[in-house]
Amino acid sequence: MIRLSAAAFASVLFVVPVLTAAVPAVTAVGLIGLALAAVGIATRWRWPVTAAACLFLTDYAAALWLADASVSVAGAAGFGLSLLLLLQSTELARCAQHATVDAGLARSQIIHWLGFAAATLAATFSAMPLATALAALMPFAAAPVVAAAGALGAVLALAATVIRPRR
Amino acid sequence: MTAHLTPLGLSLLTVAVWALSLAVLSARAELFVAALPLVLALAALALRPSIPDYALTHEVSSDRVFEGDTVTVTVSVTARSAVPLMELLEPLPYASDLASGRNRAVMALRPGQTASFRYEVRWPGRGVHDLGTVVVRGRDRWGVRAWERRHVDLTRVRVYPRIVPLRSLPRPFHTQTSVGDYTSPALGEGIEPGDIRQFTPGDRIRQVNWRASLRLGSLYVTQRHRERNADVVLMLDTLAQVGVAPETTLDLGVRAAASLATAYLARKDRVGLIIYGGVIDWVKPGSGRAQYERLAGALLRADVVFTYVAKDLALVPPRVLPPRALVIAVTPLLDQRFTKAALDLAARGFDLVVLVVSPVDVTRAMLAGSPTDDVACRLWALERRTRLDGLRRHGLAVLEWNPAEPLEPALAGLERRRPRLAAAR
Repeated sequence: MIRLSAAAFASVLFVVPVLTAAVPAVTAVGLIGLALAAVGIATRWRWPVTAAACLFLTDYAAALWLADASVSVAGAAGFGLSLLLLLQSTELARCAQHATVDAGLARSQIIHWLGFAAATLAATFSAMPLATALAALMPFAAAPVVAAAGALGAVLALAATVIRPRR
Repeated sequence: MTAHLTPLGLSLLTVAVWALSLAVLSARAELFVAALPLVLALAALALRPSIPDYALTHEVSSDRVFEGDTVTVTVSVTARSAVPLMELLEPLPYASDLASGRNRAVMALRPGQTASFRYEVRWPGRGVHDLGTVVVRGRDRWGVRAWERRHVDLTRVRVYPRIVPLRSLPRPFHTQTSVGDYTSPALGEGIEPGDIRQFTPGDRIRQVNWRASLRLGSLYVTQRHRERNADVVLMLDTLAQVGVAPETTLDLGVRAAASLATAYLARKDRVGLIIYGGVIDWVKPGSGRAQYERLAGALLRADVVFTYVAKDLALVPPRVLPPRALVIAVTPLLDQRFTKAALDLAARGFDLVVLVVSPVDVTRAMLAGSPTDDVACRLWALERRTRLDGLRRHGLAVLEWNPAEPLEPALAGLERRRPRLAAAR
């Protein structure tokens, strides 16, 4: 059951780039990602799933670049959620291996995932008008620098959160 | 207890950094949006960790079992606060098997909810084992932070050797003073008729043998043999063993000793035990249920302790080896020191029976069964037969038991000549 959900998320991650740009190269990279995800789900190893997630992201970026379509916030948010849920469901399957699984676990996890998905979509859509307004105010030449600085700031903040001492 | 980053957290961080990098490189806003759920999940690390509050109970169905029996272990968790994800693992004790269920569980609990899991564990061999160490690993809602705790609520489970019912037992030559199941040569109160003699004042009327009295013309009474018990001392050889646990010659010897002790105790005999090995241990002869517990406890501890020192039976207190006791030596006869001790006992006048647990058959069961193994085992068996014949020539009663067969026929094959009893009690 848990591994089925992981397989479903992997399938979504394969399908979204292919639908964005139906190019053989995108399909090929997606298939490699799908194969890695399948290995990870079947063996419950963590690294193939992480590698598959990175590959799906690369595939998605390539598809967006090739298609040069307009921005689809809902599709991107769904893609991001699928990435997160693929990693989480694989980890859950790993935990449940050779274990007695409580009946309430699946229900609790599904409720959490649905709640988190709703919250993420709400946050994304509420942030979009702000981002659009900021983009309109910003000079075109400064946009890449601001984006890079924002991304670097986010990475540094994440790194600081991860490596700081815990109680 | 310290919360730490999980490998899932590192995976999320890797993918999030990769998404942000691709977003900058490809200048596509979608990739920023795709990274958002990952970043939000990791942002949970910035929050103060809340360790769930719960109570854990550990129950074991029985703390005394026989070899091969199963024990049901139930672990229950009651959450006082929400537990998003909890893994529980109780490591299996040494030399145990999982009979049913699983010793790992994963659960998610709401406040006030109780969940439990159970499994059955089996020990093929005797021993004392501790159960009750449960390792708990909790995770936060996003699975990026974990903490571990070890709960120790030890229950000591004693696994006693398997007992087989025995009817044919080596009969002691000498009886003791307490009431038992053996017909004593001494005359007195009893059931078994002995001799008749002339009536003397003080004899009871019911003792009068009317048939003899009518034939002989004067009153005669029937004398009867007393029913008495005996002292039996089991002497277990722990100097050496062969085989693979739980079917080593020592394990088999322990089972035989436990079965003999149970059978003799059921006959109201006093049974003692000497564990003769690197460390000498003993249990003074006694009778009753409590004595079985003492004997079984000592048999649980019996193990081979390597030593070069030849132990002297003079170390054993005289009360453990009472005079006129039947001594049953249970041994694979792998070590000459035990043979010497057995001959020493026989020379001291003890009524001695040697029950030899055949190491040849135990070894043969371990081997693949190649022609070379077969020849080696046959040569070994011939050599041992010569040794056993030598012991028999010394006047020892020697029984050889092939563990693949029941113990009862081996015991039934014992033929002993009763020595002349000069001073029967």
